[in-house]
Amino acid sequence: QATAAPADAVPKGPPAGFVAPADPKPGESNAERMRSQPGNNAPMWRAVRDSGVQPGTSNLPGAEQGVLIQPFVQYPGARFTNAGEAWRQVRNQWLLPYGGSLLLIVVVALGLFYWRRGPLGHDHADAGLVIERFTPLERAAHWTNAIAFVTLAISGIVMAFGKFFLLPVIGSSLFGWLTYALKTAHNFVGPLFAVSLVIVLVTFVKDNIATVWDFKWLVRGGGLFGKEEIPSHRFNPAEKGMFWWGICVPGIFVVGSGLVLDKLLPGLDYLRGDMQVAHMIHAVASILMMTFLLGHIYMGTIGTRGAYKAMRTGYVNEGWAREHHALWLDDVKAGKIPVQRSTPPGGSRPVGDAAPQA
Amino acid sequence: MARMKFICDSERCIECNGCVTACKAEHEVPWGVNRRRVVTLNDGVPGEKSISVACMHCSDAPCMSVCPVDCFYRTDEGVVLHDKDVCIGCGYCSYACPFGAPQFPTNGTFGLRGKMDKCTFCAGGPEANGSEAEYEKYGRNRLAEGKLPACAEMCSTKALIGGDGDVVADIFRTRVLTRGKGSEVWGWGTAYGKPVAGAAAPAQPKATKS
Amino acid sequence: MLLTRKPGAPSAGAPSSGLVASLARGVSRAIPTMDRRAFLRRSGLGVGAGIAASQLVLVKKAEATDAAKAADGVAKKVEVRRTVCGHCSVGCAVDAVVENGVWVRQEPVFDSPINLGAHCAKGAALREHGHGEYRLKYPMKLVGGKYQRISWDQALNEISARMLDLRKQSGPDSIFVVGSSKHNNEQAYLLRKWISFWGSNNTDHQARICHSTTVAGVANTWGYGAMTNSYNDMQNAKAAIYIGSNAAEAHPVSMLHMLHAKENGCKVIVVDPRFTRTAAKADEYVRIRSGSDIPFLFGVMHHIFKNGWEDKQYIADRVWGMDKVREECLSKWTPDKVFEACGVDEATTLKVATILNENRPGTIVWCMGQTQHTIGNAIVRASCLLQLALGNVGKSGGGTNIFRGHDNVQGATDVGPNPDSLPGYYGLADGAWKHFAKVWDVDFEWIKKQYAPGMMTKPGMTVSRWVDGVLEKNELIDQESNLRGLFFWGHAPNSQTRGLEMKKAMDKLDLLVVVDPFPSATAAMAAMPGKPEDQNPNRAVYLLPTTTQFETSGSCTASNRSIQWREKVIEPLWESRTDHMIMFQLAEKLGFAKELVKNYKMVQGKGGIEPETESILREINKSVWTIGYTGQSPERLKAHMRNMNVFDVKTLRAKGGIDKETGYKLDGDYFGLPWPCYGTPALKHPGSPNLYDTSRHVMDGGGNFRANFGVERDGQSLLAGDGSHSLGADLTTGYPEFDHLLLKKLGWWADLTEAEQKAAEGKNWKTDPSGGIIRVAMQVHGCHPFGNAKARAVVWNFPDPVPQHREPLYSTRPDLVAKYPTHDDRKAFWRLPTLFKTVQEQNKDVGKTFPLIMSSGRLVEYEGGGEETRSNPWLAELQQEMFVEINPKAANDRGIRHGDWVWVKTPPMAAVPDFKGLRLKALVTERVDAETVWMPFHFSGRWGGVDMSPYYPDGAMPVIRGESINTATTYGYDSVTMMQETKTTVCQIEKATA
Ligand SMILES: Nc1nc2c(c(=O)[nH]1)N[C@H]1C(S)=C(S)[C@@H](COP(=O)(O)OP(=O)(O)OC[C@H]3O[C@@H](n4cnc5c(=O)[nH]c(N)nc54)[C@H](O)[C@@H]3O)O[C@H]1N2
Ligand SMILES: Nc1nc2c(c(=O)[nH]1)N[C@H]1C(S)=C(S)[C@@H](COP(=O)(O)OP(=O)(O)OC[C@H]3O[C@@H](n4cnc5c(=O)[nH]c(N)nc54)[C@H](O)[C@@H]3O)O[C@H]1N2
Ligand code: HEM
Ligand code: HEM
Ligand code: SF4
Ligand code: SF4
Ligand code: SF4
Ligand code: SF4
Ligand code: SF4
Ligand SMILES: [Mo]
Repeated sequence: QATAAPADAVPKGPPAGFVAPADPKPGESNAERMRSQPGNNAPMWRAVRDSGVQPGTSNLPGAEQGVLIQPFVQYPGARFTNAGEAWRQVRNQWLLPYGGSLLLIVVVALGLFYWRRGPLGHDHADAGLVIERFTPLERAAHWTNAIAFVTLAISGIVMAFGKFFLLPVIGSSLFGWLTYALKTAHNFVGPLFAVSLVIVLVTFVKDNIATVWDFKWLVRGGGLFGKEEIPSHRFNPAEKGMFWWGICVPGIFVVGSGLVLDKLLPGLDYLRGDMQVAHMIHAVASILMMTFLLGHIYMGTIGTRGAYKAMRTGYVNEGWAREHHALWLDDVKAGKIPVQRSTPPGGSRPVGDAAPQA
Repeated sequence: MARMKFICDSERCIECNGCVTACKAEHEVPWGVNRRRVVTLNDGVPGEKSISVACMHCSDAPCMSVCPVDCFYRTDEGVVLHDKDVCIGCGYCSYACPFGAPQFPTNGTFGLRGKMDKCTFCAGGPEANGSEAEYEKYGRNRLAEGKLPACAEMCSTKALIGGDGDVVADIFRTRVLTRGKGSEVWGWGTAYGKPVAGAAAPAQPKATKS
Repeated sequence: MLLTRKPGAPSAGAPSSGLVASLARGVSRAIPTMDRRAFLRRSGLGVGAGIAASQLVLVKKAEATDAAKAADGVAKKVEVRRTVCGHCSVGCAVDAVVENGVWVRQEPVFDSPINLGAHCAKGAALREHGHGEYRLKYPMKLVGGKYQRISWDQALNEISARMLDLRKQSGPDSIFVVGSSKHNNEQAYLLRKWISFWGSNNTDHQARICHSTTVAGVANTWGYGAMTNSYNDMQNAKAAIYIGSNAAEAHPVSMLHMLHAKENGCKVIVVDPRFTRTAAKADEYVRIRSGSDIPFLFGVMHHIFKNGWEDKQYIADRVWGMDKVREECLSKWTPDKVFEACGVDEATTLKVATILNENRPGTIVWCMGQTQHTIGNAIVRASCLLQLALGNVGKSGGGTNIFRGHDNVQGATDVGPNPDSLPGYYGLADGAWKHFAKVWDVDFEWIKKQYAPGMMTKPGMTVSRWVDGVLEKNELIDQESNLRGLFFWGHAPNSQTRGLEMKKAMDKLDLLVVVDPFPSATAAMAAMPGKPEDQNPNRAVYLLPTTTQFETSGSCTASNRSIQWREKVIEPLWESRTDHMIMFQLAEKLGFAKELVKNYKMVQGKGGIEPETESILREINKSVWTIGYTGQSPERLKAHMRNMNVFDVKTLRAKGGIDKETGYKLDGDYFGLPWPCYGTPALKHPGSPNLYDTSRHVMDGGGNFRANFGVERDGQSLLAGDGSHSLGADLTTGYPEFDHLLLKKLGWWADLTEAEQKAAEGKNWKTDPSGGIIRVAMQVHGCHPFGNAKARAVVWNFPDPVPQHREPLYSTRPDLVAKYPTHDDRKAFWRLPTLFKTVQEQNKDVGKTFPLIMSSGRLVEYEGGGEETRSNPWLAELQQEMFVEINPKAANDRGIRHGDWVWVKTPPMAAVPDFKGLRLKALVTERVDAETVWMPFHFSGRWGGVDMSPYYPDGAMPVIRGESINTATTYGYDSVTMMQETKTTVCQIEKATA
């Protein structure tokens, strides 16, 4: 039997005095929304999402305790996502694979080059002038710097890539222990590197300023692929380029970002976002620096005959100087540059065979 | 295999910090290290809501994938744990973690942070379950004792629920249905790769990469 | 499956880029890998090799104390002891895991119907009591400004000698003993007995400054001054109005039940000057001006009466005098007046009234927001009136859910050290003394001899006023001598108002004894140099380390009147001794030990013999008939604790269940036998879950309003209307309370056994030592022993029979002071002259210099004066700074920014020119309005900007210290109970420059 709907089921309209709640509006606070559309907490969830920008409160003291989720950002190469995830994407999808590849490529290229060409230059008998190319101060600074750099590079590489090539080999306990030691070394050697780098930059800057001659040298590719080297001053334009673009510029970035990562710069909050940015700068700059300096180290050791000795002992003979830095030798010969710049211990200077062997 | 998850129901959380102290006491976590914290939004004005956060034990955990020494691992229950013997205290996990879960005992000058500590879902660490060594480094292993996380077990209003993802989602769904609101689940989208849409839990948790 | 053990199989980190993945794959193909665990094992480098072990270790293990250390090396002995959180009246159960005597873990008790395993921060951090690092470790004495370690013997000898000295010089009333709501029932009861045998009524405890106005106001309205229903029963509520309660912070686990109710449709209203965390969970939040609850409540009732929404049948049957209230609400509290007085407009009061009308039963919750006022007794009665008008009292889901404070403040109020009553609200009349002399098995005349003549029946001073007991001019006080000796026996100093004057009083004392596990707040205040002219050169200060409730056993009464038994968790730490042992040992020296422990079994404890708590409880069972503390024998209580699982969460009633250990049948009992649990344990009364509930039989926990105020007034009967009675009662009309005469008149005398008849002759149900009258009335005839009467809407014996709004003594509104002035001064009120009008008159214009309303209250992490919880590092980390909440507008006007240091100044500081104010941090928030500021009251250890750390006893300083608000609070006391005014006074705030 069909029955009509009972009378009171018919909508009677709102009771007297009823005030319809305002329509929900996009910019409402959660309180307003609770009235305009009870049960819809969208403003609150927006606040959750924005807590990286507008943090909530937490009883625990300390920075970022009120952040529920890191702010949303787009780092180069990453999606627009929360900063932590974005940073991971940059590091794991760009810095490590491409940085690692770059380093590998450079190593392979240098290997190939050595295989094809062997060391550059000739061996020179100690004859004629023995010139002091680097003073003890310059050498001390250089070697401190070099040792620090190598320590940092090795430890840095282990931190960044060790888990791909070392961990599977030596197992996690040993790897953890080793990396802990290297990381700790990295953290302390870093500031040392910073200091020695400044000294290096200051001591070598004068002779690394570009001159017109450098253009000629550059135009002819330094004679790298020819038979003869093009004459250059104390440092050739390749060395100068390395000084400015391989050491000075990335060095500043590496050191700056490194000091942030080490929490050594006063007055900073060291929030996670700061650390991510510092890390990305550090990684990019240090990888670039490593690739350049791989070249430098190659040239300074097996790549060029006699170069290592120069930095090791401080002295070069005339033949070497003629071959690699003809213009510099001219100046020395002309007396514009003293043959001996430092006061040698004991007052005498090593001559010819007396010079220490590498 | 159960997949462990947390839900914090912001309609219920009253910011009593019971969960925070439960964790401290259960694991004797030292001053300054807080595996869990409670965050309040709109503090002091209508619309105020609180959420208790710790490690969410993410499916595709950022912390895990940035760790230089790969000291994280995931248990069959989806709990993300780490090995303090291997950890080098580099802080990368804390940069990567969306939720700010990783904690360090010292402030990090010269990179000295000490070993990372974070919520273990009360599942200890790599040492033998229930061993003294495990307790001293990671606190109690409640899961191995058949118990759920201390924080969730003691939550004063049962706002915080932790356990098998399917079960906690069910509990939550029922609650949402009775009250007809507040269905959003804090952090699940970020942690477990599901849209923040609601209580509907994945029947099959997104396969972890293990 | 929900839970599995950790797997052996590892998982590799998830590589996130194709290139990396392929690199990794390549490498791992090149080099055979193995699983992580195999790595760990194979690599052979053990745990943490080469790495500083200190970085690795997370855990600081609880140190075994001497007793436990002996067990080292012996096989582990693991025990689980069930106890109850000691930090608030919710009464959350805790399972303590004890290994070789050391409290190593704490597990949630999911079976507890009260908390279902849940805890707030304090409960979750309870195990810290097993560490006790910051406790007082041995007795100490103040010598030359420094605390020195002394032996227990020396301490007890010197203290008792000093007490006897004072007694000889100034009589027993020269000593005041501040007891404690942290004592268990047995200790609280024993302390009342102890002070009686000493010969004074000068004793009190926290309830005075907590819910004394509730107890007096509510008891005088309908019988008992307690929470009528339970936290659990709130699940049945359809509406709940929290007015003056911030349960989310003060009773967090109660929210478990309320939020559940809310999810099922209960409408939650919060009325508070502050937008609290409870308000954050409410459907409606109403902001009122502090101290203006009566205008608000009567404003709501105005609409209820105007629209005829009151429950007329209920009122006719069960309420006397409601017409007067109706008149008051309708004529006096018109919407404009309401708005003027409390700042709430008509639409809002109407909305609240509508919600309450449409959603019944509804409950009301109040707490310190209502009680701590000079008119507290009237405010709480106004709340009762709202519920009576709606017919909500005596109903499941309704009632007045008055959330009590300390874990055992209910019990200590019921049976503990009160200045105006012997245990069980028996009062101090000769009859009461005779009843107890009999129970205690001592001669009434002997007790009388202990007292100064005439003082035995005169209520003592109150804890809120002991300062005046010391400082007031002798001729103005209503006892022979001023107070000269003071015991703080489980009470903090910074919880009483007028701290500046308290310092003076403390310096003036001859004897100060602090018996407390954490006596340091009092200790530091006493050792801090004060004004030389206030200093009593002969003052002696002693600190006695007592145990917490986890080092002893005993019962405690939760807010819902359920009584829970705590097992002893650990042996007393350090040199501490239990409170009851100290009472006994002092009694030995003072010469009344024999009488004190006559009825008790003595057992060996750490530091000597002590009364067994069970036998003290049995004495309570034998004496406290009035409020039904008689059915809760230790055996029954322990059976309840062991079998929590059989109790229903909503009704608290046991469904079946037999205790394995004793064979006791739990079926039908309510959890914890919520008092009144009438008659002897043998009667098996199940306890009363909801008071005055006529829908149940009295033997099922049902009841009706009490006949305590005579049978007739103004020619009208005060007894309940015909047909209004508890289910199944033989008497279907109202009836008076039972005594031997009534039984005889009704012809029920024969129902008593012969032995019962002998005992009951000449007695009433409260004094009949056999419980026979109760048995017959209840079991045989289904009647309530305390009669069946109407609730009193008009309490004619109070200063304001119908609640009146009166402005606080320090008000920022001179216009309202003129309209709603306070009471006249009183001369000898609780033995002291007490000012009302004089102070208000003098401070009529105080708002000009102190324009902000100053209020105070609780933070979830800390409790009370806070010495206990601020010594708990797990809690202390969460609140590291004392602060003042101030509205952005008020802050901006004063150039104050969030986090700035500020000075809080109040009127009493004028008298102490070198005191600069309270120095604390500004928390700028809209939680408070621009006229109000709010501070937590849990801090101590800073005084006017100065750190008090040099004055603490060595090793007993809490982790966190801060400025105490009560250093700055003002004069003002309730006109019935001497409750101090802490919720509404005035202050000014300035930015601190240095
Ligand atoms: N965490 C914690 N919990 C506790 C305690 C503790 O110390 N710490 N102590 C326990 C004790 S002893 C007690 S008594 C209870 C107290 O519990 P509550 O009374 O709930 O706590 P309070 O914070 O003192 O005050 C409650 C509210 O009253 C408001 N209020 C102030 N003035 C007025 C007024 O005039 N009218 C109204 N309607 N409201 C007003 C305050 O803004 C505050 O939000 O808590 C118990 N629980
Ligand atoms: N401004 C302001 N002042 C207030 C209030 C307010 O809201 N605002 N609230 C008032 C209220 S409601 C209350 S209840 C009081 C609370 O104030 P108090 O009760 O004075 O504060 P507590 O610090 O809890 O004091 C309890 C003391 O007992 C000790 N104790 C713990 N267990 C035991 C034991 O087993 N035996 C002994 N002998 N001692 C023990 C603790 O160590 C502690 O020192 O403060 C009141 N003062
Ligand atoms: C002032 C100098 C430097 C400082 C203070 C410094 C500091 C740091 C810090 C703090 C880290 C993070 C890891 C950790 O917390 O231990 C880091 C990572 C690293 N550093 Fe340096 N560093 C410095 C120089 C260098 C140099 C010169 C190189 C390379 C030639 C380098 C290469 C790396 C690499 C590769 C990483 C790892 C990046 C990764 O894992 O993603 N650092 N450095
Ligand atoms: C093991 C590592 C290194 C080796 C073997 C090495 C070797 C050399 C040698 C042999 C020279 C002399 C070249 C000449 O005589 O023309 C030289 C020059 C120099 N090296 Fe290195 N070097 C190393 C690392 C570094 C590092 C880490 C830096 C700085 C970051 C650095 C900065 C310089 C500079 C500035 C010069 C002077 C040339 C110029 O300024 O262009 N070297 N190095
Ligand atoms: S919450 Fe953070 S720490 Fe936890 S698994 Fe996710 S990323 Fe890792
Ligand atoms: S801090 Fe430890 S766990 Fe975190 S990324 Fe670094 S090594 Fe891994
Ligand atoms: S799951 Fe365990 S470790 Fe994690 S926050 Fe909760 S209590 Fe702490
Ligand atoms: S215990 Fe529960 S209610 Fe309390 S803060 Fe933690 S999640 Fe929130
Ligand atoms: S303080 Fe109160 S609510 Fe918190 S755990 Fe203890 S008894 Fe329960
Ligand atoms: Mo209280």
